[in-house]
Amino acid sequence: MRPDLCLRNAGRRYGLRGPWVLRGVDLAVGPGRLVRVEGANGSGKSTLLRLLAGIDAPSEGRITGRPARTAYVPERFPPALPFTAVGYLTHLGAVQGLSRAAAARAAREWLERLGAAAYAETPMARLSKGSSQKVAVAQALLAQPGLLVLDEAWTGLDTTARAELERAVAERTAAGGSVVFVDHDPRRLAGLSDATYAVRDGGVVRQEPSQTAAAPGPHVVVETQGPPDGRLPEEVRRTVSSAEETGPGAHRLSVPAPHSDVVLRALLTARPPWHVVSVAPQATAR
Amino acid sequence: MTALMRYHAALLMRSQRWLPPFLLYAAFLAIGIQAGQPVLDSLGYTAAALLPVAAWLARICVTGEPDAARGCAAAAAGPARAHVACLLVALAGAAALGTLATLAVTLLSDPVASDHRTRVPLPAACGAGLLAALACALLGTAVGALTSRPLLRSPGRAVLALLLAALLSLVVSGSPARAAVQGLVTGSQQGTVPLPLPPLAAAALVTAGALALAGALAARRSP
Repeated sequence: MRPDLCLRNAGRRYGLRGPWVLRGVDLAVGPGRLVRVEGANGSGKSTLLRLLAGIDAPSEGRITGRPARTAYVPERFPPALPFTAVGYLTHLGAVQGLSRAAAARAAREWLERLGAAAYAETPMARLSKGSSQKVAVAQALLAQPGLLVLDEAWTGLDTTARAELERAVAERTAAGGSVVFVDHDPRRLAGLSDATYAVRDGGVVRQEPSQTAAAPGPHVVVETQGPPDGRLPEEVRRTVSSAEETGPGAHRLSVPAPHSDVVLRALLTARPPWHVVSVAPQATAR
Repeated sequence: MTALMRYHAALLMRSQRWLPPFLLYAAFLAIGIQAGQPVLDSLGYTAAALLPVAAWLARICVTGEPDAARGCAAAAAGPARAHVACLLVALAGAAALGTLATLAVTLLSDPVASDHRTRVPLPAACGAGLLAALACALLGTAVGALTSRPLLRSPGRAVLALLLAALLSLVVSGSPARAAVQGLVTGSQQGTVPLPLPPLAAAALVTAGALALAGALAARRSP
């Protein structure tokens, strides 16, 4: 198991005498954790994310335990690059340690998942804002990063790509990767974050779950049948919001929508495999 | 590192921002070099003119990548490695350009010393010219690295500093570039071919230090 990513008493300022943007930050992100960062505009959220992603070094304090594969999605992605979408992604995949063939394959797969396969051969300069944001997201997901840092990555994406990115985040955390994100929409991955930190007045404060009080996001009900006396696989128990035993080995699971694929995959690949009886969206009781 | 350098090389080639310094170098050579001149003099000029061109090329490589794209590459590979890779691409470009120019100038020049009588062996002269050009490419890259992001971030000041530093590296005594060029010119006057290895070694050391400094500061002084 790799160590937590830790910021210890970290601070960052621009220039030798500039004002401190952040100071005295203590924060830890464990493997498989999803961390939300909140704060007003200009509070230093992006600076914190750049420290975590290793793009900027702390001016004081230390940062330890960053996984070898780190990926970052910036707020605004420039189309001013002289590549096609797939050409840029292949370069970035190779930089992240994939072979060029694997990088090109992953590039096409992610463009397809995000609904931008039609733009694979389009020069980036001709992409719309939303499509170049899809390239920025694809870039970060190519090499299955151990740490994924998302700075307003959902902004500018269409609805299907937003949902796909939520599922990609669920896949990363299920595979033991850490994800840190900022998003202006409080319903983004609602109820799924393991921790929420607020950036204000140059410091970072951990929010208690009651303070964040996020309404749970959309859920899916999964009816599943395992062996009698069978225990739900560990990964499933960790992910579901609630599990109710309805008969010998039969369970009704309530799963956050972004995690539904992860749960189904865990059930079907368990040894022995579980039978999926039905999957249905949960009626929202609000 | 290979993947990073490929990425930066593709960025440089496809952006076509390499064209102005290449044209400037061609113009330098067209003005200063004529067929039939003593080979070592011409090679000295060829090497000296490469230095500001290499510095400009380094600046182009450093400033060519949009900030957000730089962030993505820096997260993936580390900001220091990303920055050094981009400077190495500039150095490779300058070295390739210097090699081409040296070969062409060798073919165009007369194998004689300054007095137009003493014979000078062409292969040895070409070798000395290549070493001097490499020393100037190295030092030019160092100048470019030290006068652009992350050390100097205001474009106006950076360009002035780049011009001044490039000029000083060619005229200040003690500069490896000046020593290499001076070696060729003196050799031409005396009818001997120098072997500018000490200046080349010094230039390599200076450049390694400059690249290491720029790389180390890449994460500390951005954006």
